[in-house]
Amino acid sequence: MPHKSQNQYTVFSEHSIIVNILITAGILVVTTATSFLFFFFVPDNYAIIYLLYILALIFIARYTTGYAYGIVSSLIAVVCVNYIFTYPFFKINFTLSGYPLTFAVMLTITLITSTMTSNLCRQAKIIKEREQLLREAELEKMRANLLRAVSHDLRTPLTGILGNSSGYLENTDKLTDAEKKLLVSSIHIDAEWLLNMVENLLTVTRIQGDNLQINTSLESVEEVVSEALLRLKKRFPDSVVNAVVPDEMLFIPMDAVLIEQVIINLIENAIVHSDTIDPIELIVSADASFVSFTIKDYGKGLSPNRLEHLFDGTSGDFEKSSDTHKGMGIGLSICKTIITAHRGEIYGENHDTGAQFCFCLPVTKK
Amino acid sequence: MSHKTTVLLIEDEKSICRFITTSLENGEYRVVTASTGAEGLSLAASLCPDVILLDLGLPDMDGMDIIKQIRTWSQKPIIVISARVKEQDKVMALDLGADDYITKPFGTGELMARIRTSLRHTHNKTAASAKIYRAEGLVIDYEKHMVTLDGAEIHLTQIEFKLLSLLSKNAGKVLTYSFIMEHIWGPYIDSNNQILRVNMANIRRKIEANPAQPRYVFTEIGVGYRMLEDENDK
Repeated sequence: MPHKSQNQYTVFSEHSIIVNILITAGILVVTTATSFLFFFFVPDNYAIIYLLYILALIFIARYTTGYAYGIVSSLIAVVCVNYIFTYPFFKINFTLSGYPLTFAVMLTITLITSTMTSNLCRQAKIIKEREQLLREAELEKMRANLLRAVSHDLRTPLTGILGNSSGYLENTDKLTDAEKKLLVSSIHIDAEWLLNMVENLLTVTRIQGDNLQINTSLESVEEVVSEALLRLKKRFPDSVVNAVVPDEMLFIPMDAVLIEQVIINLIENAIVHSDTIDPIELIVSADASFVSFTIKDYGKGLSPNRLEHLFDGTSGDFEKSSDTHKGMGIGLSICKTIITAHRGEIYGENHDTGAQFCFCLPVTKK
Repeated sequence: MSHKTTVLLIEDEKSICRFITTSLENGEYRVVTASTGAEGLSLAASLCPDVILLDLGLPDMDGMDIIKQIRTWSQKPIIVISARVKEQDKVMALDLGADDYITKPFGTGELMARIRTSLRHTHNKTAASAKIYRAEGLVIDYEKHMVTLDGAEIHLTQIEFKLLSLLSKNAGKVLTYSFIMEHIWGPYIDSNNQILRVNMANIRRKIEANPAQPRYVFTEIGVGYRMLEDENDK
C-alpha cells in the first residue's frame, strides 16, 4: 500500500513539474512582453515594470507548487529588469545602486506568497481528507448498525426454528397430532419471516458502492404500487390496503424493485405493528417536482422512544425489544438507504389516530 | 395404460427435489428427476415429458443453454425454477422460450397452478383457439371485436384491443415486454417500451376500477405483464 501511493506520487509530481514549468514560463513571457510595451510607450515610468514583475511573481507563487519556481523566477525577473529595462539597456550591470535590495524585496515577496499558497493548498487537502474520513465513518456506522440489526433480528426466528424442530424430533412419539402441527407451523412462520429478511438484504445489494449508486429508469408509479400490493396480498391475505393513485400517468426515474421493497416494508410494518385490522391507506400524490407516497395506519402509533431512532437500524427501545419478535429495525433502515440513494426523503410520524410514513421521490433525474 | 402427466425435474439440490417430488406425486403427476444438465437433456429426449421444471443454476451447464437446446426440438412447456432474482434473467429465460418462471422459494400450491396453466396452454395451441375470454365480469369477444365489463361495453382503441387480446389469449402466462412489443408493433419497433406502458396505463383506466389495485392485468416489474386466467379454463 505505501509502495503504491509512492508510485502515484511520483507520477503525479512528474506531471506537475511540466505543468509548473509551463505556468512559470508562460507568466514570465507575458510579463516581459507587457513590460516591453510599457517600456516603449511610457518610457519614463520604470516603476510600472517593477510592479508588473512583482505581480508576475505573486501569480507564479500562487499557481505553482513548492518554492523552487518562485525563487528561480524572482532571479530571472531581477536579471530581466537589469538587462532589458535599466540603463545601460541590454547589458548586465550589477553596480547599480540599490540592486541587491531590489533582488531581496522580490525574493521576499515570492517566498511569502509561496508559503501562503502552499499553506492554503495543504489546508484544503486536509479539509478534503477529513470530509472523506467523515463520510467513510458515516457509511461504516450505517453498515455496523445494519449488521447489528441483522444479527439481532435473525437470532430470534432461528432460535425458534431450532427449538421447535428439535422439540419435534425428540418427542415424536409423545406429541399429539395437534401439537406436531403447531410446532411445524411455527417453524413455517419463522422461516417465512427469515426469507422476507433475506429478500430485503438482497435488494440492498442492488445499491452499488460507497456513493449509493443505483440504476434508475422511468417507471410507472401505479405499476410499482400494484405489484407491491399484489406481493403483500400473498403474504397477508387478510389485510386490507386501500390505495389511491393520481389519475394522470406518472413515470418517474427509479429502481422499481427497490421502491417496491420500500412500499412492502412500510405496509408490512403497518400491518404487523399497528395492532389493528383497520384498513391501511396508501396515497400517492404528485406536484411539479416530487411524487410522494404516504402509508397511513389507524393503529396505536409510534412510541416517542421509537420516533427518535426510526431509521438508524436499531429500534429505539433496543433493550426492551431484544426478545420480542420482529423488530422493525432493518426494514426501515433499508428504506432509508434506498430513498437516500434516490435523492428522495423519508420520514415517519404520528397522526391523530395512528402512524404514518411518507417518502417522496424527485420527478426528474438530477 | 393410465396416462399420468410426466414431469421432468432438472434440479441439483436434494432437499428441493424431495419436496417437489413429494407434492407433485400426491397431485397425480409422475416425476422423474435429473441432477445435472446433461442428464436432464438426455431424459428430456428419451422420456418426452409433458412438463419440464428447470433450475437455472446447475453444476455442469447454464440453464439458459438447456432451454435453447430443448427448444430446438420440443415445444413442451418449460417452467424455470430459479433462485436468481434479477429481472434480466427472468426476461432472458422467457425470451429463450421458457413458458413461465417461478422464483425460489415458492409454495407447492403456486407450483401446481403454474404447471396446470402451462399444460393448458400447450393443449390450447393444438385445439381451435377460444373465441371468448371471460373472467370476473370481463368478457372479450375476439370475433365481434368487443370488450364488456359487467355487461357494459368498453371502448378500446385498435392497439389497446390488440394488446388486451394478446394478453388474454395467453392469460396466466407472463408475456415479456419485448414479446408484446414485437407482436403488436412488429419486429422493427425500438426497444423503448414506454409506448407499451402508456397503452397499458390507458387500458387499466378503462377496465380496472382502481389502477393501483388491478383485478385483470398484473405487472411483473422489469419483466412484463400477466393477465388473470380465463374462467373457461378453470
